[in-house]
Parts: sequence; structure tokens; C-alpha cells
Amino acid sequence: MMRPAILDDPKRELWLAWYATVGFYSLYTVVFFIITRTQPPGKPWYDPSQVVGWFAGRHDGLLIGFALIFVLGGLSATSLALITYSIRRMSVSRAFAYSYLILYAVAAVPGFLFICTAMTVGAMRPERSPALLQWLYDLAFLSFSGTMGVFLIGSLIWMTAILLDKNHVFPKWFGYLNLCNALTEVVVAPSWIFHEGALAWNGAIAWWINVVVFALYTGAFIYLLRSMILREDFGTGPLPGLDSKVWRTIVPVEATV
Amino acid sequence: MTRTTGERIIFWSLPAVAVVWIAAFFLFPGFVPPMSPKASPAQVAAFYADHTSRVRYSMILLNWFCVALIPILMLIVERMRLMAHRTPILRYCVIGVAAATPIAFLTATIFWLLAAFRPYRAPELTQLYNDLAWITFTCGVPFLVALCLFLAVAIYLDQQDTPVFPRWVGHCNLLIAIALVPAGFAGLTLSGAFAWNGFLSFWVKNLAIAAWLVVMAVVLGQAYARPRSAAEVTA
Repeated sequence: MMRPAILDDPKRELWLAWYATVGFYSLYTVVFFIITRTQPPGKPWYDPSQVVGWFAGRHDGLLIGFALIFVLGGLSATSLALITYSIRRMSVSRAFAYSYLILYAVAAVPGFLFICTAMTVGAMRPERSPALLQWLYDLAFLSFSGTMGVFLIGSLIWMTAILLDKNHVFPKWFGYLNLCNALTEVVVAPSWIFHEGALAWNGAIAWWINVVVFALYTGAFIYLLRSMILREDFGTGPLPGLDSKVWRTIVPVEATV
Repeated sequence: MTRTTGERIIFWSLPAVAVVWIAAFFLFPGFVPPMSPKASPAQVAAFYADHTSRVRYSMILLNWFCVALIPILMLIVERMRLMAHRTPILRYCVIGVAAATPIAFLTATIFWLLAAFRPYRAPELTQLYNDLAWITFTCGVPFLVALCLFLAVAIYLDQQDTPVFPRWVGHCNLLIAIALVPAGFAGLTLSGAFAWNGFLSFWVKNLAIAAWLVVMAVVLGQAYARPRSAAEVTA
């Protein structure tokens, strides 16, 4: 029987996770910008009847797009796993790696679970009272676009690890890009207060700057994770599956972390 | 004390926890049979007025014990250490989804309990809580799907003389992941197999979760029963 080449690649787990990460962020972009058209976001100043119209114009897109996230959203964990792994390669305490993993695991809730649930519940009954539809609309956009500490602290943890690291796992400039990402969370905090203007959830500052920084940040770390994987050197030792006794004695580090 | 001290206690908590889950499932009057998404606001309000106590008991139970899944998942994570992998990536993937898996259930119980807290609320508001509960409960499968996929990949890549989990467990996880997919689409319709009370979104999904628990409990038990390898003892 033919043995797929990926099984013999020493970096197979890293590559699988990296391709899943690319797949997840592609899906995320397509769902939010194209299928559901929830980005750019609806207007925070819409009155209840305008919210009804907003939902009506996107009925199928919301239900199908967010169903896709309901099914595949968990793949976001692959990027967390790779980033956690990257921090484990740095000359810093494991506390940074585990903090990042847990902070971003929790981030799935404001990151997509709330907006998926609120928009699905909103779209599934167009006849619901306009005031209640607006309640769901606010829940969806504020949980998604409003400031969330998990992203703020998560980025700061990763930043600190990169800046302290002496193993050059990530370039220092990316450490500072983490600071930019953390600051966008500060910048979107006023979206919990303002209904219109630059600081509202769809505003020039709270949305446009935020999205540009997030896109640059995400693109950069996906690229840098790829570079990290390419640089990894697991040597030419025996591969798992060829002889498990040898394998276990040769790679004790990874087997016991 | 060995690395595995206490793991058996967690493992043997599983049957007790499973009994509580099954009890909560049958105690909640909205599951057998599952409530219809087509019920009018007045019918939904009447349901909570008629069954207030049972909704509360069952959902408090589920709220307590749905998170008991996390220690079980960590037993699996500890077994994964012994897999012939080069990196801890797949273990981190499983930890990454482990926290969020029961959060979907936890959030659903909160909405069900809120609906029962003031059953005399305006029926439209009770219906809103009810919808939020059912959609969170039914569609909230992304972490379970990912968990099954990660486990399947981890098992397939664990190529050694005595793999931690047999290969068929990988196939099982893949099948269960597929069985959970239709539930994600429950928002699209109020009737039929995909609706939240439908054959696929309710029965297939919940039976798939039950099947996953049984399969993983059996293979975890087998893994504990096996004499420990030298690598495990020294690890």
C-alpha cells in the first residue's frame, strides 16, 4: 500500500496545523465579508425597523455563513496550538505559552460563538418584534467588535515572550506589532459607549483601523509561523512508526513536555 | 507517586457523571420529545409555566456537570503524551478546544434557567431565551467537531508497535465529527431533519456525543489496563 508522503515528513503535525490555520482564516474572511456581509458591520444608530430591514437583506447569508462557522470554527485551535508551540521554543517560562493557549481558547466565545448564536437566532425568526431583533443585533456586534480583554492580554503575553526571547523564534518587530494589536482593543473600547462617529463600532477608528491592524497582524503571524516551521530542524533521526523503541529513546524531550 | 496518580479517580468519575447527564436529559421536559421550534410564543411561555421546577432541576444539574467533561478530556491529553508524535501540537489543539466544548452547554443552561426564572415574563421574551438556549445547545458543535478531528489525526499519526489508541478509534472520531455537522445548520429551518428537534440535529447529534463518550471511556479503560511500557514509567 502506498504510504502518503506527509506521514514520513518529520514536520507533519506542524504543517497540518498550519494549513488548517490558513483554511480557518480564509473561511472566517469569506463568511464575515462575503457570505453574511456582517463586515463591514451594520450601523449602530439603526432604529429597530431598520434593523429588521438589515436582517431581511441577509437572511440566507447569515444562516448559511454562520452555520459554516458553527461546524468548522473549532479549527481556530490549530493557530493557538502553533503559537503556543512557538512560545515554548522561546527562552521564557512555560507560563507564557500556557497563558496564551488558555486566553485564546476562551477568546473563541466573543470571537465567534456569540455573534454566530445571536445572528442565527435573529435571522431564524424574521417576524420577531423589532425591539428584540435590535437586542440581538447589539449583542452580535458588540460582542464581536467591542473590546475584549482576552485579545488584549493575549497579545501582551505573546509580545512579552517575543521581546524576552533570545532564541529568535519570532522577529522583534513582530513583538511590537503585537503591541499594535493590543492597542486596537483599547481603541475599540469606546464602541461600548458611542452610537455614531469615529469611535462607534463601525467608525473610522474603532472599525477601519482595527480591521487593517488585525489583517496585517494575522497575515504576518501566519507567514512567520510558516518561516518557523521551515526553520525547524528535527534532524534525520528515525521517524515515528519505523521503530518505536528507538523513537522513544531519541526524542524524549517532545515526548515528556 | 507516579505521573498517573489520581487519573483513575477521574476515570471512574465518568460513569457517575454519565448517569447525571442521562438523568438531566430525561428530567428536562423539553428533550423527550424535543420542543418544536414552531411553537408560538404563547406555547413556549406555557411550557415554562407548566414545567418550571423540572426545567430548573435538570438545568442546574446539567450546568454543574457539563463541565465535568474537561477532566475527562485531560485524561485523553495525558494519554496523547505517549503517542509517537514529534511535537505537542495536537495536544495543544485538544486543550485549545477542551475549555470551549462544555461552554456551549453551560451557556445553553443559563438561557434555559433564565426562561424558567420568570415564566410570567412577556411570552416573546421567554421565546427569545428559549431560542438562544436551543441554538446554543444545538449549533454549538464547533469545538466538538474539531476535538474529534484532532483526535482522529492524532491517532492516525501515532504509528508505533502498540499505539496509544487503536486505529478504529480514529475512524470512529471521524464518523462522529461527520454526524455532528448537520446540527450546525439547525438555524436554517423550523421543521424537518435539520431543525433543532429534527432527526439529524437532535437525535443523531446527541447519540453521536453519547457514542463518543462510550468509545473513549472504553479505550481509556483499556489503556489503563495495559501494563505500562518502560517509556511511560520513566517519563
